[in-house]
Amino acid sequence: MLDKLGSSLKDALKKLAGKTVVDRAAVEELVKDLQRALLQSDVNVKLVMGLSNAIKKRSLEEELPKGVNVREHVLRIVYQELVNLMGDGGEVKLGAQTILMAGLQGSGKTTTTAKLARYFQRKGLRVGVICADTFRPGAYEQISTLCSKINIPCFGDPKEKDALKLVRDGLPSMSGLEVVIIDTQGRHALENDLIQEIIDINTISKATHRWLVIDAALGQQASEQARRFHEAIAIDGVIITKMDGTAKGGGALSAGLTLTASFPGSSAWGI
Amino acid sequence: MFEKLKSRLKEVRNKLDSGINEAATREGQPAEVPAAEKRPAGSTGLVDRVKVLIVDRELVISESDISEALSELEIVLLENDVAFPVTEEIIANLVKELVGKRRKIGEPVDAIVLSALKKALGDVLGEGFDIINYIKTHEHPVKILFTGVNGTGKTTTVAKIGYFLKKNGFSVVIGAGDTFRAGAIEQIDVHAQRIGIKIIQHQQGGDPSAVLFDTVQYAVAHNVDVVLADTAGRFHNRANLMNQLEKIRRVMKPDLIVYVDEAVAGNDAVIRADEFEKTVGADAVVLTKADMDPRGGAAISIAHTIGKPLMFLGTGQGYDDISPFSPEKVIEELFGDVA
Repeated sequence: MLDKLGSSLKDALKKLAGKTVVDRAAVEELVKDLQRALLQSDVNVKLVMGLSNAIKKRSLEEELPKGVNVREHVLRIVYQELVNLMGDGGEVKLGAQTILMAGLQGSGKTTTTAKLARYFQRKGLRVGVICADTFRPGAYEQISTLCSKINIPCFGDPKEKDALKLVRDGLPSMSGLEVVIIDTQGRHALENDLIQEIIDINTISKATHRWLVIDAALGQQASEQARRFHEAIAIDGVIITKMDGTAKGGGALSAGLTLTASFPGSSAWGI
Repeated sequence: MFEKLKSRLKEVRNKLDSGINEAATREGQPAEVPAAEKRPAGSTGLVDRVKVLIVDRELVISESDISEALSELEIVLLENDVAFPVTEEIIANLVKELVGKRRKIGEPVDAIVLSALKKALGDVLGEGFDIINYIKTHEHPVKILFTGVNGTGKTTTVAKIGYFLKKNGFSVVIGAGDTFRAGAIEQIDVHAQRIGIKIIQHQQGGDPSAVLFDTVQYAVAHNVDVVLADTAGRFHNRANLMNQLEKIRRVMKPDLIVYVDEAVAGNDAVIRADEFEKTVGADAVVLTKADMDPRGGAAISIAHTIGKPLMFLGTGQGYDDISPFSPEKVIEELFGDVA
């Protein structure tokens, strides 16, 4: 992730080497390179602007600490601001919990559900999956095939049209299991009916966690979508999928800013 | 889909207008002063000369007049998912259009700015792709292969286009070429049943080339007009999967290769579109999930970078939620409020 950023930063910082005072032109050039790299990685434009202003301001205004050269001083500021931007990585707790999966169409919720089930199973927990995707044809076949390969019970009914009913009926059948993962159909922030549906699923299931699945290639739209999902069901974790492509995940990163956990998925091939 | 971009573009346009207008008033004044000084000389030709100076005098638009508005336009385009290189090209086009352009003082600025913006965007949007006309003018069956990365909506798009073509009077057969993903065959099968289109399928895990070959054979034997070939999603950086696609192409010999991506993808859209174009080629592009996003900048970028025409925009989950793409319509939509 952001591999290009590393090299362009290094080049920009070289220009500061050997200087005794912070050079405005050099800082501006550095910030410009940084902006370019972040924007190309789909990081939210407003975040990029905020970050670059903070770096510019601090580099020029903060007094140079004794024994530190200009390059180190600016590097430290860039580092601190980038750390601020990234936020903390989330921790996945191993214990009894109900996880509700949410996300846009085609972001990889079903595949990720199976991968998560496998993850918890390997950690020695008893896991079950509820398929609450009543819309997409083949969704139940997909998750039940994946689950049967790894011997995980999967509740669902391709003929049922009511996702709420599936969750209501599915949960009691999962008693005795420690981790229950609820897969849902893809939806986006402008589909009000579907947003209401996931609010209801969240209420009925009393989910411990609500994780948002985001495609690494998602662009500037990511933050806005995440915000709407967050408003609806208080997302407490973000999973970035398809990191094995060439996407840099900057959109997903921006989406994760207000949220905590992250758990990057790595490959679609094999769970 | 372009509401947001549209309103922001309007702000930029106003800014460009005012930048140029300010330059006009700055330069307009000195033109009057010398004219007034000369008045005591009192020749009859003078009034005409002043008129020429003030009214017919031409102004040359310079880059500094519009630089502020241009940098704002850059941010607007980036914010709306127009990819970085494409943004730079639009700006460059616009500078080329505007800077050095002469205009008369009396002439309204708005028209100049608007036509320059329209042209700059039109240049990168390219032309649409008329599928109906293509099918009519080519030998049947017309074989269309759908490609793209995972989760962009290939299967749904195949169903929607099948429905669209059926409504336009063509007979269609679908080949269930995604033999990899669990549930994919069931998915396309249900779609085909609902829209009443014949589908050819094998078992999950089978060779997609074989399925699609059979589909073409079926179409030839039954005089079907169009073959729609679905494939599994694959990443462009996986050589073996791209080779498989290459094999599919050799075996079924598609007339058209349609690359499917989502309108909400960021800068990576351009990279992967390019890779697909390089390995198996692409004749047209379909952008899905355009309803997710009021911006639609990716649509502009992808169409431009891949250098291929946009064929359809997917705009929802129903079978009717697909619209043929026309660049005129997009530009009309972006600037449509102008009288």
